[in-house]
Amino acid sequence: MPSPIALNPISPTKSMFKKRSSTPMASATSYLSAVSQADARARAHGAATPTATPALSLSSSVTSSSEDTVLDEYDNNSDGLTLPLVAPTSEQVFTTVHSEFGHCANESFRYTSSHRLGAPAQETEEPEPPYYIVLTTYLSYILLICIGHVRDFVGKRFHPSFYYHLMPHDGYAPLNSDFDSFYTRRLKTRIDECFSHPVTGVPGRTIMLLDRVSYDHNITSHLTGTKTRALNISSYNYLGFAQARGGCADAVEEGLRRYGVAVGGTRLEGGTSELHVAAEALVARFLGQEDSLISSMGFATNSTVIPALVGKGCLVISDELNHASIRFGVRLSGASVRMFKHNDMESLENLLKEVISQGQPKTHRPWKKILIIVEGLYSMEGTLVNLPRVMELKKKYKFYLFIDEAHSIGAIGPHGRGVADYFGINPREIDLLMGTFTKSFGAAGGYVAGNKSVIDRIRLRGHSGTYAESMGPPVIIQIVASMASIMGVASPLPLARHSSHTSASSVSTVGLLEATEHHPGPAPASALPSWMDLPIELRDGSEGLTRLRRLAFNSRYLSRGLKKLGFITYGHDDSPIVPLLLFHPGKMRMFHRMMKHRETPIVVVVVAYPATSLTTSRVRFCLSAAHTKDDVDIVLRACDEIGDLLDIKNYSGERWSIQRVIDSAVELVNAEDI
Amino acid sequence: MDNSTRTLQPLFAFLAYSLNRVETTFYKIPGSHVVARYVKSSHQDDPGRTVLEILLVIFAIRTLLQSRTRSDSGGKHFIKFSEKEIDELVDEWTPEPLTQPLSAEEQTDLASIPVIVGTNGPKPKLQSGKQVLNLASYNFTGLAGNEVIKERAIETLRKYGLGSCGPPGFYGTIDVHMDLERDIADFLGAESVILYSQAFSTITSVIPAFAKRGDIIVADRGVNFAIQRGLYVSRSTIRWYDHNDLKSLEDVLESVQRETRKRKLPLTRRFIVTEGIFEKDGAMVDLPKIIELKHKYKYRLMLDESFSFGTVGRTGRGLTELYNVPATEVDMLMGSVANTLNASGGFCAGSSFIINHQRVNGPAFIFSATGPALHATSASEGISILRNTPSILTTLHENVRTIRAILDRVDCITIPSHHASPMIHIHVRVPGPSTLQLPGPGAGKPSNPASVQPREPPVFDIEGEERLLQEIIDEAMAQGVWVTRARRLRGQEFVDARPSIRLSVSSAFTKKECEKAANVIKAAAIKVLGRRK
Ligand SMILES: Cc1ncc(COP(=O)(O)O)c(C=O)c1O
Repeated sequence: MPSPIALNPISPTKSMFKKRSSTPMASATSYLSAVSQADARARAHGAATPTATPALSLSSSVTSSSEDTVLDEYDNNSDGLTLPLVAPTSEQVFTTVHSEFGHCANESFRYTSSHRLGAPAQETEEPEPPYYIVLTTYLSYILLICIGHVRDFVGKRFHPSFYYHLMPHDGYAPLNSDFDSFYTRRLKTRIDECFSHPVTGVPGRTIMLLDRVSYDHNITSHLTGTKTRALNISSYNYLGFAQARGGCADAVEEGLRRYGVAVGGTRLEGGTSELHVAAEALVARFLGQEDSLISSMGFATNSTVIPALVGKGCLVISDELNHASIRFGVRLSGASVRMFKHNDMESLENLLKEVISQGQPKTHRPWKKILIIVEGLYSMEGTLVNLPRVMELKKKYKFYLFIDEAHSIGAIGPHGRGVADYFGINPREIDLLMGTFTKSFGAAGGYVAGNKSVIDRIRLRGHSGTYAESMGPPVIIQIVASMASIMGVASPLPLARHSSHTSASSVSTVGLLEATEHHPGPAPASALPSWMDLPIELRDGSEGLTRLRRLAFNSRYLSRGLKKLGFITYGHDDSPIVPLLLFHPGKMRMFHRMMKHRETPIVVVVVAYPATSLTTSRVRFCLSAAHTKDDVDIVLRACDEIGDLLDIKNYSGERWSIQRVIDSAVELVNAEDI
Repeated sequence: MDNSTRTLQPLFAFLAYSLNRVETTFYKIPGSHVVARYVKSSHQDDPGRTVLEILLVIFAIRTLLQSRTRSDSGGKHFIKFSEKEIDELVDEWTPEPLTQPLSAEEQTDLASIPVIVGTNGPKPKLQSGKQVLNLASYNFTGLAGNEVIKERAIETLRKYGLGSCGPPGFYGTIDVHMDLERDIADFLGAESVILYSQAFSTITSVIPAFAKRGDIIVADRGVNFAIQRGLYVSRSTIRWYDHNDLKSLEDVLESVQRETRKRKLPLTRRFIVTEGIFEKDGAMVDLPKIIELKHKYKYRLMLDESFSFGTVGRTGRGLTELYNVPATEVDMLMGSVANTLNASGGFCAGSSFIINHQRVNGPAFIFSATGPALHATSASEGISILRNTPSILTTLHENVRTIRAILDRVDCITIPSHHASPMIHIHVRVPGPSTLQLPGPGAGKPSNPASVQPREPPVFDIEGEERLLQEIIDEAMAQGVWVTRARRLRGQEFVDARPSIRLSVSSAFTKKECEKAANVIKAAAIKVLGRRK
């Protein structure tokens, strides 16, 4: 199936991009040099010289459109980030900017994220590291804690000014006690260079870092004024919609002209625009629910909706690893909370038996209602909720189910509709689906979807409707455009003028329709604002499908590749979040730094206590549809080298060489089991 | 004695041997020498410390090993059931519905909310097809639909895309966020500023970032819902003072001080939490007096300027400009980027220590993606427009005066809002000599600071008043003036606010339009409320 992002026949229709590429000649020369570089690199890697003809015709120069976002003064492509390693052939026209959304024409680098019917949910194993790793990890922490205490002990005597804020002074209690802040001051500060790195530009396939230095051991840091482009395997850009170019961005620009930046007001007072109404209908349709409500912040969606559902006398059962926003919402609601072991269905069932039979504490009165809150995909573990089992339990124990799909919506399932889609479960059987637009859709804010009567109640009782600012028009338009392009837009398509090349793409639309049992197919044309003129590959859903399939391939390739290289990874094979275990606190900083200082810089996210348990510090990769197989190869190669240096290949299973992993990527991904 | 030593000899030998083995194994571990040396030397300096540290390690390991999901099945209220009984109980249990369906009135109410078509502004078009004068949306500074801002936003879109795709800690901090933080800090004269991605969640997150269990917060009885949520999650000890009554505040501060002294309580963090212009009624706080009190009693001040930042003061710098108080006097100054800068998000300004503390401890900051870049640049542009166009604020204040001049003379309504507040609340005047005005038997006695209810809570008929207000609104709408009731979460808030119509005055109105709006509201109020008698 040809994917339109990758391989578009040169169409007579005017592309949004061609219009904008101003100086084709200049870009052609720069492109030529890039091609020769890529050539040299390919030879160095021992691969065959690309046989395809480098495309130099004007029509294909979109690849290297000479806009500042593409060819920045810092982008000389010596790292292969702004231009593809292998030049496109003369038939290939890529409509995306390579640094935002990588060019990948190879149809075998695709996969469909789906649960095999009838199979049990994958038991995600958490391999144990060798004993000496655990021991030295503990020792590292003990050492760090000891040194920290010594430094505090000495510091307080010799540099009291440094501790001013931690000590009572002038009759004020300190805002932060030295005990409470010990971890932050003495452990986290040491690796602060891994966090809060300022960036600029689009957080797409690559990201532009603003270089910084610290002269005082990370207490303060200064921007040096230079920038570095790095391969971005950190942003929550699952479907690659973080783009400054393309059909969605064009729609947003048009929308900004028509609607301005913000509406000004809350949803129930003066802040409801026709766009909100349209977007809510579309989101409901996308999720296969009756109605939905959107809100301007994902965190606030949880923290303002949960209190509208439960209160005193109600019980919330929450996975122990649920996100802070869920805990915040539950705390605000005043309901009782119980936690169960992460994704452990046995623990959940035992808990259910206990709480239903015991009733409320002391009085033993039955609970008014029980709400179970789980996440679809856990952002630190890469585990998928065992939804089939939860649904069975739901039938038996009559609880209500709230699923936070912040990370799974768009990223999981054959149609990108999240965990219900992945497991083939009717979404209407789930009471409330919540999710955010910050991740897969490259926008902001969150939604909650369910029955109309429940959603209407949330509109009135939820805190957002009354008090929070409504979502701004550009954000809504990004959501509508990206969501519609995943769903495809139903006829009447204004296809007449595009009819020259619809035959190929309409095939994929049909494929999309057939498989939608639970997920009502394409978006009705009426769901989109009438002025919104999406390009054909967005309207017919083919580009969306390609994004889903590229993400699914990349996810599976990286997690399986890492395993074969001997790393300990957590989570589900189909999860676009791949945590790689580092264990030692010191290795986090080293890993981060070594990745960033490679020839092709790579930025990674490292997470440690308190987000994880003390010994399971990890690096977390977030894949994107914007990555190409070459990008994943780069990451794998980097991990392989650094893994040897830092001794993090602790998995005891079968080991492959890096070359073998790269060469057999397709088999690795398509294998049922590895 | 001698005999027993001899019999124990092999045991000692064995112990010595094992100890030796353990030691050599220990030294084989890389880095163990350093640890050993450290332990030895620290033991020499301070033997107590070694014990302490060992305890610490044991404690850490114990905490780690302890399951976080421990059930309390050992508790004394636990009843043992057989498997069969449990199954029966599970079968018998019927939960309440997840939510109550809406009543017919609620449904009509929800359906009656006007929907804007196209750009919002002083005169938007509604879905009903009508073009109306808009006093419902927050557009105090008239920046909605501003063409310069639109262009800036489009430019940003083409450089940054839309979403930030990450929380601030993980590559979500974009240069434009840092620029906006600096712009706001410069504008206010504060040392540092932190941005949140939603105004409503800002203070709800700031309060628990600082105030914990055991800390003392003295708050106004009329604080908005976002603050109430923050107070509730902080789990601090809360003491209330009468709404906007600084005498009452001083009494409460005094009583807390007395109590602390008497019971020899340890020094804890203490905060005063209030608003600049109150969301509930538009009253304005006397900032210099509060600052005087906070210094006197050594409290830190959290001031929510969501409605005063950008609307009062000569150039819109808020209460600190109006009262000519340096912004650095306010420990935590919260404001909205949505209400007055017509973008999205909220901020907190303060010393760099206070801001950096939030960057590590503010839940809504750490665990949420940063806002879209184009909202940040739009807000920066908004600030620069405010700086360069002082006439915006002059016009706004002029417009407020024009409207108040007309509405203040209407008998059947009361306006609790401050004269300078661009947010004007309108209450229904209770007919006849109300019992409210008469001093009751307990008059003069202060309210109980531990209770959020004042000694004599005002009595009003929520449903009845809301119905009347809605009639006024419908009447005004028919005349082309869009105003709204201040919506509340009845039943979820600490105290029920008196129902009100809330006007948001904009600098984008002409004098004529203000007069028209005020006259229409006046006529509607007289028509609806006059009928009542
Ligand atoms: C599970 C979960 N829920 C909610 C959120 C909050 O979403 P947002 O970043 O849009 O505020 C996140 C984001 O990190 C998340 O992981």
